Amino acid sequence: MTAAPEVRAGDAPEPAPAEETARHADPSAAGGGGWRALLLQPALVVLGVVAFLVWRLTADLSDTEARQLGWAVLGDSIREHLALTAVAAVIVLLIAIPLGIALTRRPLRRLSPLVVGIANTGQAAPAIGLFVLLATWLGFGFGTTVVALVVYAALPVLRNTMVGIEGVDARLVEAGRGMGMSALAVLLRVELPLAVPVLLAGVRTALVLLVGTATLATFIDGGGLGVLINTGITLSLDSLLISGAVLVALLALAVDWLGRLVEHVARPKGL
Amino acid sequence: MSETAPAPSAGPVAAGDRHISGVPIRLDGVTKRYPGQEQPAVDDVTLEIAAGETVMFVGPSGCGKTTLLKMLNRLIEPTSGRIHLGDEDVTDQDADQLRRRIGYVIQAGGLFPHMTVGTNVGMVPRMLKWDKERTAARIDELLDLVGLDPAVYRDRYPRELSGGQQQRVGVARALAADPPILLMDEPFGAVDPITRQRLQDELLRIQEELGKTIVFVTHDFDEAVKLGDKIVVFDVGARVVQYDTPERILAEPAEDYVADFVGAGATLKQLTLTRVGDVDLVQVTTAVAGSPSAEAVAAARAAGDDFVVVLDARGRPISWPTVAELTRTATVPQTVDERLPVVGLRSTLNDALDTMLAASQGGVVVTGRRDGLAGVMAVETVMAAIQRSRTEAAG
Amino acid sequence: MWEYVTERADLIAFQAVQHVSLVVQCVLLGSLIGVALAVLVYRNPKATALANGMSAVGLTIPAFALLGILLAPFGFGITPAVLAVTFYAALPVLRNAVVGLAGVDRATVESARGIGMTRMATLLRVELPLAWPVILAGVRVSTQMVMGIAAIAAYVLGPGLGGFIFSGLSRLGGANALNSALTGTTAIVLLALVLDLLLVLAGRLTTPRGIRV
Repeated sequence: MTAAPEVRAGDAPEPAPAEETARHADPSAAGGGGWRALLLQPALVVLGVVAFLVWRLTADLSDTEARQLGWAVLGDSIREHLALTAVAAVIVLLIAIPLGIALTRRPLRRLSPLVVGIANTGQAAPAIGLFVLLATWLGFGFGTTVVALVVYAALPVLRNTMVGIEGVDARLVEAGRGMGMSALAVLLRVELPLAVPVLLAGVRTALVLLVGTATLATFIDGGGLGVLINTGITLSLDSLLISGAVLVALLALAVDWLGRLVEHVARPKGL
Repeated sequence: MSETAPAPSAGPVAAGDRHISGVPIRLDGVTKRYPGQEQPAVDDVTLEIAAGETVMFVGPSGCGKTTLLKMLNRLIEPTSGRIHLGDEDVTDQDADQLRRRIGYVIQAGGLFPHMTVGTNVGMVPRMLKWDKERTAARIDELLDLVGLDPAVYRDRYPRELSGGQQQRVGVARALAADPPILLMDEPFGAVDPITRQRLQDELLRIQEELGKTIVFVTHDFDEAVKLGDKIVVFDVGARVVQYDTPERILAEPAEDYVADFVGAGATLKQLTLTRVGDVDLVQVTTAVAGSPSAEAVAAARAAGDDFVVVLDARGRPISWPTVAELTRTATVPQTVDERLPVVGLRSTLNDALDTMLAASQGGVVVTGRRDGLAGVMAVETVMAAIQRSRTEAAG
Repeated sequence: MWEYVTERADLIAFQAVQHVSLVVQCVLLGSLIGVALAVLVYRNPKATALANGMSAVGLTIPAFALLGILLAPFGFGITPAVLAVTFYAALPVLRNAVVGLAGVDRATVESARGIGMTRMATLLRVELPLAWPVILAGVRVSTQMVMGIAAIAAYVLGPGLGGFIFSGLSRLGGANALNSALTGTTAIVLLALVLDLLLVLAGRLTTPRGIRV
């Protein structure tokens, strides 16, 4: 659930730049490795899906297992999982990107270390703790799950939006202002386009985080593929457990790949 | 402390027939104070810059020269004082509108890496709502002006260009809306010496054609002497120590401070004051690339030359093979000699000597308008100039 | 809340030690594995790409899913917890170590070889020390991440503070449910911050002075 790269900017001055390189090794790898690297991952996903289907069609299942792994139930679980991920992702984007932009503007820039500090500390909280605490306050169900997911996944997008914009060469901003572009024009035509690679890397990180963390929804009745894993664990049914785990992993890989694809396509030409 | 520096009386260098499209700049008691700093960064500067002149700001780092420059286009807002461009007081004008009328060039061009060269150059015209055809035509015109073939470079991205080419695009972008004023903030600081010298020549050539008012910040005194009609030497707080022509600053530094800044070896500095165009150039045999070698060889022998300058279709020199080399080929070779030593008419003798030494050649090819051939200069000419200035110094 | 904590101080302390001990040991093991793999691959572009791909793909696999998969062969208990936590601990270190080693100036390496240092000596005395800040940054990311993963491992009966969170969950609505979950969560956050601080300190002490910023 926390199993996704996180970008830490700002704390500890000395490792920060190196860490940045390390993290954005992904986008640069996608850029340098090109399409070949982008093709390996979906191949892996397709292989996994085919293997699962073959197993599902040929395995000798007990009644309980067959019921839980019925196509309708499976379909519902996947749909639920995707719905949790998608709803939370949209809310995250709507909150974190504007907030990240606002925190790089002059009036609010002084607040940004504070916000990043709070967010970093929050990120150290275990996801499961967050789920349970929110459930004691908001009750069980889909809504609480979405809230927990949003809280959890907002940070990478917020941080990468800020890092991306702050990473734009100050001289380019000055060149833009110097030729008479308004502050808004510089933001829209220079800063944001140049921040796109870093920003999208943050969005992808958040999406993968969401897919993984959504498995914990099962603990507070939020549905999704975690239910399969949880049922498998409580009933000691390895087939359920492994089916759920494999499907979530495949989903995360697929989402990650889609993110990389978007990054590859949306990367501004000339960079 | 107030320092008033009237425009030196030594009249504009611009000759009467020179086309001037710039406007004068007048600074009146301009001051910049930063909160929490005792000394103002710029302290009560009053300065006049005549239309069509190139004025160089020099001084130690931190002296406030860049701050002063950036107050001209209000990237930095003055704390007090007035700024006039032409007859207008622009101190309280809308800064964005103002900047669209002032060209601004920074180190490495400040090109937007995610936009093509054409888009970069067309930014200001687009903001000024020019129509598409006019913008496109202007982009091509400007790329041509700075010596880049529009067909080749228009759709390239900045990273596909060399440092020198990026800087040229930066100049083209600044000139896009034909602003009367050009501000340049150490534009050539990040390129190698040979490229820098070519860019300087290019700027001199462009300025001769356009006659803008140029304010140019540099830390390189030789650059100031070469490019400037006038030089302003600043001390801390942007105090104007001396504001005069390069010749007079070299000959009569106003204070010890200026003398120190100008540096020793003022004799050889005279090399920086003499332009290649001021000395006699040698006319040599030329040949167009691709024409029959035999004709070129015959012409060279008739003129008594032992080499031939090869020109491309647009009349620009590309190589200078010896007559012996030419006899071995059927046609004049098309290859561009990357190491061909070239200087412009407005280059200094100092540049010419540097170029010869860098290329290990005993002469340089001199180009004039649009990089066309103007002649050839031999190392002996430079030596003679050195001899002369030493004799003068001794006498 | 305060009463809840003081009454169970012993248990909380015990679980906290268990949690930290699991994390520290797994991070140590994972870091060794990550650095060792990086050393094996960093000179070979293809192997490097493979290692980078592996760490990227590995990090997309949800922890709960991996724990589930490990339950099947190993059953409940400490083994799946250790395996999963070590797995996630190794990946960021692997990635950063590859980046760090690749980032060492070739000229420096060549001059080390030039004065007669063996490959091994060059690696141990030149390359790894120069890459160390980047590697350590990876260790910090690992530690933060697996503090949370260790909490989930409590669900498969691994040791640690996650137990408080899950017992809070199972008694939700009842007395002390909130206290229990809050205790577990807060303790993990605090310990994660302390560990991070220690790692920053360790970084200051172990980074060669010449490359400290």
